[in-house]
Amino acid sequence: MDSFEYHRPSTQKQASLLLTSSPRAHVVSGNTDLLGEMKQGLVHPESLVSLADVEGMKVFHINGNESKLGSMVTLSDIVDSKYLKVNFPALVEAAASVATPQIRSIGTLGGNLCQRPRCWYYRSPLFDCLKKGGNKCFAVGGLDKYHSIIGGEKCWIVHPSDIAVALTALDAKVKIFGPSGYKNMKIDDFFVGPGIDIHNENVLKEGEFVSSIEISCDDKSSSTFLKFKERQSMDFALASAAVSISLAEGKIHRAGVALGGIAPIPWRLQEIEEYMMGIPIDDLRCSDEFSAKVESSLGDAKPMSENNAYKIDLAISHLKRALDKVIQDLC
Amino acid sequence: MSENLGWVGTSPPRRDLKDKVTGEAEYSADISFDDMLHAKVLRSPHPHAIILSVDTTEADKLQGVRAVVTPFDISNGRIAPDVSILDKKVRFVGDEVAVVAADDPYTAELAVKLIKVSYDVLPFYRTTDEALSEGAEPIHAGGNLINNGPLVEQRGNLDEGFAEADLVLEESFTTPAHSPAPLEPRTALAKWDGSRLTLWKSSRGIHADKASLSQALGLPSKSLRVIGPHMGAGYGGKDETRTAVLASILSIRTQMPVRLELSREEEFVAGRRRHSTMTTLRMGLKSNGEITAIHAKTVMDTGAYLSSGPGVARRAGQGALYLYRCPNVRYEASLVYTNTPTAGSYRALGAPQGHFALESVADLAAKSLGLDPLHFRKKNQVTIEGQPGERTTPVNEIVDTQPSEGGIPFSSNGLSECLTLGAEKIGWDQPVNGIGESFSKSIKRGRGMSMFLYRGGPGGKSHAAVALTEDASYSLFTGVMDVGEGSATVLSQIASQVLSIPYDEIELVMGDTDITPEASITAGSSVTFSSGLAVKDAAEVLRNKILNQASQLLAEPQGVLNLHGSKVISESGKSLSLSDLVEHSGAISAKASVVPGSSDYVINSFGAHFVEVEVDVETGRVNISRYVAAHDAGTIINPKMAENQVRGGVSQMLGFTFSEDMEIDPGTGIVVNSNFLDHKSPTILDFPDIDVVFADVTDPIGPFGAKSLGEPPCIGPAPTIANAIYDAVGVRITDLPITPNKLLSAIKSHKA
Repeated sequence: MDSFEYHRPSTQKQASLLLTSSPRAHVVSGNTDLLGEMKQGLVHPESLVSLADVEGMKVFHINGNESKLGSMVTLSDIVDSKYLKVNFPALVEAAASVATPQIRSIGTLGGNLCQRPRCWYYRSPLFDCLKKGGNKCFAVGGLDKYHSIIGGEKCWIVHPSDIAVALTALDAKVKIFGPSGYKNMKIDDFFVGPGIDIHNENVLKEGEFVSSIEISCDDKSSSTFLKFKERQSMDFALASAAVSISLAEGKIHRAGVALGGIAPIPWRLQEIEEYMMGIPIDDLRCSDEFSAKVESSLGDAKPMSENNAYKIDLAISHLKRALDKVIQDLC
Repeated sequence: MSENLGWVGTSPPRRDLKDKVTGEAEYSADISFDDMLHAKVLRSPHPHAIILSVDTTEADKLQGVRAVVTPFDISNGRIAPDVSILDKKVRFVGDEVAVVAADDPYTAELAVKLIKVSYDVLPFYRTTDEALSEGAEPIHAGGNLINNGPLVEQRGNLDEGFAEADLVLEESFTTPAHSPAPLEPRTALAKWDGSRLTLWKSSRGIHADKASLSQALGLPSKSLRVIGPHMGAGYGGKDETRTAVLASILSIRTQMPVRLELSREEEFVAGRRRHSTMTTLRMGLKSNGEITAIHAKTVMDTGAYLSSGPGVARRAGQGALYLYRCPNVRYEASLVYTNTPTAGSYRALGAPQGHFALESVADLAAKSLGLDPLHFRKKNQVTIEGQPGERTTPVNEIVDTQPSEGGIPFSSNGLSECLTLGAEKIGWDQPVNGIGESFSKSIKRGRGMSMFLYRGGPGGKSHAAVALTEDASYSLFTGVMDVGEGSATVLSQIASQVLSIPYDEIELVMGDTDITPEASITAGSSVTFSSGLAVKDAAEVLRNKILNQASQLLAEPQGVLNLHGSKVISESGKSLSLSDLVEHSGAISAKASVVPGSSDYVINSFGAHFVEVEVDVETGRVNISRYVAAHDAGTIINPKMAENQVRGGVSQMLGFTFSEDMEIDPGTGIVVNSNFLDHKSPTILDFPDIDVVFADVTDPIGPFGAKSLGEPPCIGPAPTIANAIYDAVGVRITDLPITPNKLLSAIKSHKA
């Protein structure tokens, strides 16, 4: 590991300035991922700009049905929040499914969203893959059992964040701070696939970082996040599903459905969402048409080989279970 | 037992417990010197290549670099017949090319990157099929098939056996390159003082390491001292000495202490892994369920170097040769070099691989004949009489613990009791109950079992010394290493049983070649048995010497005297304290050497495992709802530690069964999962509750009736679980590990 400078600014503005003042500056929050990348020699920052002391980044504001979570809120904070458990169970379940208690206690919300992919070709310093500026995706014709089955253009990573999947289903908004101040965007616009940017998984530019996340809930709503991992601790999703549904007068007036572990970005199933809109929840429960739609919702998936085709079945079975659970909750 | 302070059969705390839980225990990497240098190895990026040249100019120039050693400036010492200290040929990605010593680890790492190597890259072979293909480049001079042919063991006449059969079953099985992943990576610290070399090394055999170092370095034995601090687990590894030899050479060159500590990634690739195997097993049966012939053929991938390959290959066949009473058996094992990380000894060696095939076919046989798998085994299991056939070992010679010949009884055999106890505990004759609570439609329950045998404890010649010191306290000297399994505690219990004193009042002297007697490596589940016999003998000799002295001092016949704590007590009521005794006699010491084994019996341990699983047919997740492990390990010296030994073995093999494999990229030969995240070792949340039961067996040869237990728990899990999955969902997975991917695909095609 190379030596580096370490900064702990106290305002977002200072942090952004420090990030733009050195060409190889890197923002760091809980440092559960970046340090590993540095040790592996994947990144060589000249300076690290820690957000640990930055004012206002650990906020946890509740205003009516609106909640704002600072990006330095830890995953343990999320897991321990009774308010979130009641209003955004999908977020809490996603946070609780991450890694180990040790990592959750220092890993942050913003860091979790911005963590780099776990693709083993990307992580090994011995492969010069597309994402690292090379000219080949080694997973093609290689060891692809953990790779994407949909949305992988050239680079077949899966997005590693569980929380991103939950927040996609919850229609969260991401607030970014950068040299030109704040920017707000839908979470869908925050993540980018390799077709748009092969080197990055989100839209953050130099000097920018996630400042906070905003989510809102309705009076009659429920959500859940289900994840399949090969072992019960310290593991990423082979497939996951998040579902969030809100009702107005017994009918669905908001639906968020997203899958994880199968694509380079949290994979929103817009068709399913649109289908559900306006339908009375009781009707949905026993609709064969809906079941068939869910069953074929990954019809566009193109597994890389027979080694990762199983992810279709895993994702669909988790999607069905998540939908069942939320619909049951609301009935 | 309080009368004679008996410790055998009780569960006092481990002797190293306090040090380990408080962090006081010193491991090899905890030892350091102010002027110590840090070494780092340059490893090959190619799976198979000739090194044409190594240019160290830039590395030499770097401030803080003290020495760089390459294959071009080193004598031709060998660490093993096929392992040079540094070779001009590399055979897997990660093979050692050069090594640097520098003032700090960062400088050493940087220096390694500055070394320029020119390679002539050769074709490489990731699998045994590729390595054995026509015209394949030999990885070592002798060719890729070790000994140019298989190892063959047999008994009776296979053709006759299959001719008698009404039913012949054949199936092929594969097992993964499962890594032991010890928490402590391999570490060696070498300190040369101008005439003598001291090594601190994570080691499972300090005396064997010393011999290996002496040979590799060309140093006389007396110039070497090997110290083994606490072990951060071995699981069969850490008897090889390449890291120690490199640290030693650097220390001799720089005249400074040098530590070489492997990183986690290096530990995975430059450590030792379990041999991956392909076994085809054929079984002939009469329609009444009697087995007439068994033929097993194994092809085993030993990786880039041979290591303990032949021993592993032999052990993989013992189940097929000996577990079922059968006159006609044959085992063939081909051991093959590939350009992959070296396979070696890993807890139970080949036995889990061989038993996976054998016990899966046994299950298949029972189901094919409409027999209950438990009854099928009870009908065919080998009993205390041993196998049919003629003894070929000469009468007065010690019988191998892994014979293929028949005609020799076992010293003890609790297999039948294990089957009965385990079946009772899991409720084998009760129906598999109910269905899981949530998503109930998708959960299928099933039950499975398997049985096994394993060589029972006799290892190499064993030595021990016990002394009553001048301050009237006891010391026990043994050269074996406690690799974490608890032999320090068990050997203390054995000595204290003889000497009638509290087990923790014996000072233990271990882990230093200068002050302990010769010993074998901690291997083959042999320490309790073999070192235990030596310790027991030595303690008995000492006891006799003490009583003899006391008899003179008390003027009483020795026959009426007994040791009791710090006193000798006479039946007449007289007593003599040990302090008074040593005041007259001075320190008293006793030694013993034993060649463990028996010329009359085969000494084996046995067991049977049972499991209940819930298979989610929509996700491929297998939940273990109950696990029962029944073992015959003779007398259990320390029941608590023994139970934990069993639980540890079963839990460790859940990785072999479900999730662990060394993933090697087909295009480059690079291991892509050399870390704890991607090498999926199970975590504590994945461990099921495991009920452990021990058969009530006292072995006539072992110390206080004990046999081996260290490795046997690893044999049962894979076939037991695979058989239960078959019971639950009707698919038999023959290719370990049983990942959700494989299980889902199999369930899908089974339905179709």
